[in-house]
Amino acid sequence: MPQYSLYEEEFHPSPWQRTWRAFKESHIAMAGAVLLCVFVVFALFAPLLTPYGVNEQNIDGLLVPPSWTGNGSISHLFGTDSLGRDLFTRVIYGCRVTLGSAFITVVLAMLVGVSLGAFAGMLRGVRSSIANHLPDALMAIPTLLIAIIIVAIFGTGLVNSMWAITLALIPQFVHHTRSLVRTEMKKDYIVASKLDGANKWQLFTYSILPNMTEMLVVQGTIALSIAVIDISALGFLNLGAQSPLPELGAILSDGLDVTYLAPWNVALPGMAIFFLVLSINVVGDGLRSALRKRVNH
Amino acid sequence: MPMLDIKNLTLEMHSSEGTIKALDKVNLTVSTGEIRALVGESGSGKSLIVSAICGALPSEWSVTADRMSWNGENLLGMSSQQRREVMRREIAVVFQNPQTSLDPSATLGEQLEESIPSEFIQGRWFWQRAQQRRKIAISTVHKVGIKHHKHYLSAYPHQIPSDIGQKFMIAMALVSQPKLLIADDPTRGMEPTTKTQILKLFTRLNQTRSLSILFVSHDLLAIASMSHTMTVLYAGQTVESGKMKHIKKRPLHPYTKALLDSAPSFRKDLPPKSHLPTIAGSIPTLQHLPIGCRLGPRCPRAQRACVQTPAVRRIHDHSYSCHYPLHMEKL
Amino acid sequence: MIRILARYSILFVLTLLVLAVMSFSLAYLFPGDVLENLTGIVPANDAQRLALERQFRLDQSYFIQFFYYLSNLFAGDWGYSFTSGIALRDEIGIAMPATIELATYSIMIALFVGIPLGYYAGMRCYSTSDYIINTSSITTYSFPVFWLALLLILVFSLQLDKAPLSGRISLLFDVEPVSGFILLDILLSDMQNKSLAFKDALSHLTLPTVAIGAVSTASMVRITRRSVIDARHQPYIAAAVSRGLSGWQIFFRHILRNALLPILPLMAIQITTLITNTMIVETLFSWPGIGNWLIQAIYQRDYPALRVGMLSVSTLVITLTITVDMFNRLIDPSREKYEHAAI
Repeated sequence: MPQYSLYEEEFHPSPWQRTWRAFKESHIAMAGAVLLCVFVVFALFAPLLTPYGVNEQNIDGLLVPPSWTGNGSISHLFGTDSLGRDLFTRVIYGCRVTLGSAFITVVLAMLVGVSLGAFAGMLRGVRSSIANHLPDALMAIPTLLIAIIIVAIFGTGLVNSMWAITLALIPQFVHHTRSLVRTEMKKDYIVASKLDGANKWQLFTYSILPNMTEMLVVQGTIALSIAVIDISALGFLNLGAQSPLPELGAILSDGLDVTYLAPWNVALPGMAIFFLVLSINVVGDGLRSALRKRVNH
Repeated sequence: MPMLDIKNLTLEMHSSEGTIKALDKVNLTVSTGEIRALVGESGSGKSLIVSAICGALPSEWSVTADRMSWNGENLLGMSSQQRREVMRREIAVVFQNPQTSLDPSATLGEQLEESIPSEFIQGRWFWQRAQQRRKIAISTVHKVGIKHHKHYLSAYPHQIPSDIGQKFMIAMALVSQPKLLIADDPTRGMEPTTKTQILKLFTRLNQTRSLSILFVSHDLLAIASMSHTMTVLYAGQTVESGKMKHIKKRPLHPYTKALLDSAPSFRKDLPPKSHLPTIAGSIPTLQHLPIGCRLGPRCPRAQRACVQTPAVRRIHDHSYSCHYPLHMEKL
Repeated sequence: MIRILARYSILFVLTLLVLAVMSFSLAYLFPGDVLENLTGIVPANDAQRLALERQFRLDQSYFIQFFYYLSNLFAGDWGYSFTSGIALRDEIGIAMPATIELATYSIMIALFVGIPLGYYAGMRCYSTSDYIINTSSITTYSFPVFWLALLLILVFSLQLDKAPLSGRISLLFDVEPVSGFILLDILLSDMQNKSLAFKDALSHLTLPTVAIGAVSTASMVRITRRSVIDARHQPYIAAAVSRGLSGWQIFFRHILRNALLPILPLMAIQITTLITNTMIVETLFSWPGIGNWLIQAIYQRDYPALRVGMLSVSTLVITLTITVDMFNRLIDPSREKYEHAAI
């Protein structure tokens, strides 16, 4: 005979579940998340979604307007560019290139930045202010400058621009990791683990790292939006991705020549970048509010 | 006539899980020149009462009361302007943690001088007024026992020790010459020497200026030494209230008795190595408040009638709410 | 106080030293022959090569070369550009003030429009006006700055023909470059139609400043609003309310200062982003600033220009960030409680 439980187990959601619940309550954040998912789907499944090839040129249809204007046709949803390539295909592939390379950049910067920051936070005993301020001051160099130097030394290309942006994103991860590690090291639960005999590596992986995930997620979304804008900016200036590689900034700069004749070449890729960054920012804001609400309750 | 008169105050919050009644028909009165202690464990709602009196409750709480009046005027019916005026001149609050109640970017002197009501300052020119403010600030600070006023008045909040901080908070409360001082657990976490200084200060202020004090705490020793009357709060319900000597001699509610028993200095006849008497269990959480008398599940004298909230009964000044008080035999 | 100044000056000098080392070593990192990169001359034969090497001290150790490089920099000899042949010092002398002018006006807009808007939104948080301000700021912040500039050009210059497309001032006016800041130069010079020139320069300035300023303003609004909301929920504001201080008193005495103090460390990053955005927008508007100049230099692989250009821009940025940090440290009273090792 099964036992009936008279008292229901209290359901205590885990911190991540509470954050997700608070996030779900905001309609705007959910809309942003949906939009971001659309972009991620574009990025992952680009070859399946696009009707044409990326560099497939349609000689007869140069500068065809988008399908919602009078002269456009449905066979080219967003129209074509000056070489006859379908703009819809290029924009979808462009989302893939831009979002994918931005994501890789952020992950790389996070790995390097967190390791450096953890070293700086845990292994330094006495805080020597010069040695701590010097890297901060040095790394406040503008992204564009770093990109120019790298292009000058290594040449142009998407990979080089990714290196440049990785270098530019590392300082903020280092800074935030270092300050978080430093504040956590002073707390009592770390002292308790130390007294239990944990060495520095164990302290880091088991005690400090789980408490860092929130900060990393928040900083990661900020870094992702910066990376997307910077990669497309470098592509636009022809310092990064070179055409015919379909990167949203490069597509934009291609369309710059024919702006007056065919403004959709400039408007549509730009709108793609805008909505991509907007969705990342909205999701990031929603996450930050959800985390804050969780802490306050 | 009591100065602060609260009858049947109920505080409710409507959340996604249902309505939570944090305070259930709380009664509290403070008369002129009396020190009333408000005693209760953590989580019994003492700070909520203080916030309700100040009008500083967050908007999700809804306040209902049969009577909540200050000197005859209904606090709930006042406009926020009038309420602020009452708070400014007649009621003063000393909060728990002096460090967080002070603005970290302003010196102590600036914060004290801005709290001085402008009615006390006369002077045509602004330097006269500034001088007067400074004088009043220095004299108030001396009254609470801070000797080196020049050093402390120009210091920032993070530079002062916490006992000076608490004395300074009392000085800030006194500068507007209030009639009622509400002290929300001011001696929490203090060393005994500092605690005695602050309590002596309170007693002195009460005697010399007939300042009424509402002392909210759970430190029975401090309360027993200085308060005239006491109200005991459990989980948002007032269980007993009356003169200190009467309650000490003859507590009528089981909770009060357990409270007094748990402080060893109250009992003279405690044999060495004996158990300290306690009530089993712990205070209920807000989501699972018992119906009726909230001590019900833990009370050793509870019977079936305790699922209904007991009414308030009085014997002279001593009021209690219990179906089976200690002067009645258990049935 | 002197200690703080001394500490920051030493930091400044050290940072500049590191930057100089980096820019010096760029000559060796650039692809191609070092000699060609430095001088632009392809030596015809070995004898010429040896002579050139001796002239540019390339045959000596790295330290001596670095010392030579530094002494040249301080003496004012910054080398010559490949493409134009003009002394780099003159070119940078014209380009840098143009960028600084544009950046200054944008940052003024960001500070004087962004911060008050952020305060307004924070004080009325979660109300309709706050909602509108928040939404518009997050939307503006998500615009890529070059696309925004492009849209502004499309709409205002090409469609409506209201604002000029490029340059700092119409070619009809000839303004003497005294300080490099064109509005100042117009006022200082002695031309006949000063007001016309002034208006013309202003109209050239409008679109780039709006493009850069919009993104910076949105960023400032978000930061300020968040800081004000955090300050409002602090316990000392509740304590001040319980003392009966009025809303205006609380705002002016407590919230104003306490909301502003956490923003200051973030200003350094804002400045960096602003200068990057300025450099990008300059290319679109053909604004003769250092961003445009550097990008032209990299298109043409003008290595001496790149070296000195990079050094000058990073010096500018480092100066600004260290100044902001030092200012921070001086006026924020609660930072004294952080421990520092003695210098």
